[in-house]
Amino acid sequence: MPQTVTDLSSVRRSVEKANGLPNAHYIDPEVFEEEKHALLFSQWAGLAVAADVPEPGDARPIEFLGMPLLLIRDKDGEVRVFQNICRHRGMILVEAPRKIEGAIRCPYHSWCYSTKGKLVSTPHVGGPGHNTHDAIKRDDLGLNEVRSHVWRDIVWINVSGDAPEFDVAMADIKERWREFELPLYHGGPDSRFELEVATNWKLAVENYCESYHLPWVHPGLNSYSKLEDHYHIEQPGEFSGQGTMVYRQLTNENGEKFPDFEEVGTKWNEQAEYIAVYPNVLLGTHRDHAFAIVLEPKGPERTVEHIHLYYSVPDSDEGLRARNTQLWKTVFEEDIFVVEGMQRGRHATQFDGGRFSPVMDSPTHCFHEWVATKIETHRAKARAAE
Amino acid sequence: MKDLDQRMISAHEADDRRRLIKLYAEAADTVNDLDASCFYLTHAYVFALEAGVPEACGLHARLKAHGREA
Repeated sequence: MPQTVTDLSSVRRSVEKANGLPNAHYIDPEVFEEEKHALLFSQWAGLAVAADVPEPGDARPIEFLGMPLLLIRDKDGEVRVFQNICRHRGMILVEAPRKIEGAIRCPYHSWCYSTKGKLVSTPHVGGPGHNTHDAIKRDDLGLNEVRSHVWRDIVWINVSGDAPEFDVAMADIKERWREFELPLYHGGPDSRFELEVATNWKLAVENYCESYHLPWVHPGLNSYSKLEDHYHIEQPGEFSGQGTMVYRQLTNENGEKFPDFEEVGTKWNEQAEYIAVYPNVLLGTHRDHAFAIVLEPKGPERTVEHIHLYYSVPDSDEGLRARNTQLWKTVFEEDIFVVEGMQRGRHATQFDGGRFSPVMDSPTHCFHEWVATKIETHRAKARAAE
Repeated sequence: MKDLDQRMISAHEADDRRRLIKLYAEAADTVNDLDASCFYLTHAYVFALEAGVPEACGLHARLKAHGREA
């Protein structure tokens, strides 16, 4: 149990009476560590996108909350996540993104693993030129695999290994967007960018959830998608966000548009939705494109936003893609001063977490309630273990 | 063997894995002692395994025949 035990009782009140999360949840390293387990390792968290490893054998080391992981597409094309360490001496296996041609060889004593994580060679383990030993059971010493699942190209991981099956945990969001269960094509290098932000990752979720800020922070939207065109999305314990009834497709100078996702239905002609899937994945979907933001928490006050744009066809128009990337980049950059400003505000010692608009802030409150519930469950388990 | 040692050092310095496979296999054939031969075969095999080249199969078979590989 950490030294800093925050009081979350006021967070769990109804939105009219609730406060936001206490400052410590944004600035205290000990609470960050607690949340790492309670909110990120215990859930299906976003790690990366499958497009990061497009070809069999592609491998990419990724550090997730201090844990060295290896994202790899195995020889049969399946995306997997392993701990990026040798089962012998815990040495880091892969230092930089590269193609694994045959086996993953540990650079220390050359134990080798297949791209599926199987231990396939243990040179000199029984003495020089003797590569087996009765005590070293290769079948028991494969790479430690982290539970993973790919959905909407995102590689989701459950580090603790005990979350419900992915399809069960995500049943509601999958049902909500069932029309979009279609192939998604990453737009390629021009359709990905990163934003490094001096904020706690939760503030990025909170800002994404609500439409209240749109007319003030994104005034460009006022011309066609007004505040009153938006609606709240709330699925307690799972996700929250906002939708708009007025989506206008991007066009180029010739009036061309991106092709639609086929057969998504007329409902989506002018509707679009933006949903934060707890804990750390922000999704947007439209009739003709989608995006995903994977929030990488780097510390209590530092987050990297990994942004990827997707289309309905593999060969979408390059010029339109560039325009769309720039459009979203501008919107997401407009949000930076807000999340960084709120982060600095969390150092004001008498701040009580703030109060919510009962009408406009309920998606954010929905997220806070999820955070508080998960943390209290985690603390109860820790107390029981003691 | 001295010349072979030098070529192996050069290949290591150049990180030329394909050449290392050949040189270690060659070294395995130049020594009379089984342990020493299997030592070199092991290195050839590991580099072949890493590179995903077909030679890995033959090298594995040789080691297995001597009870040195699973």
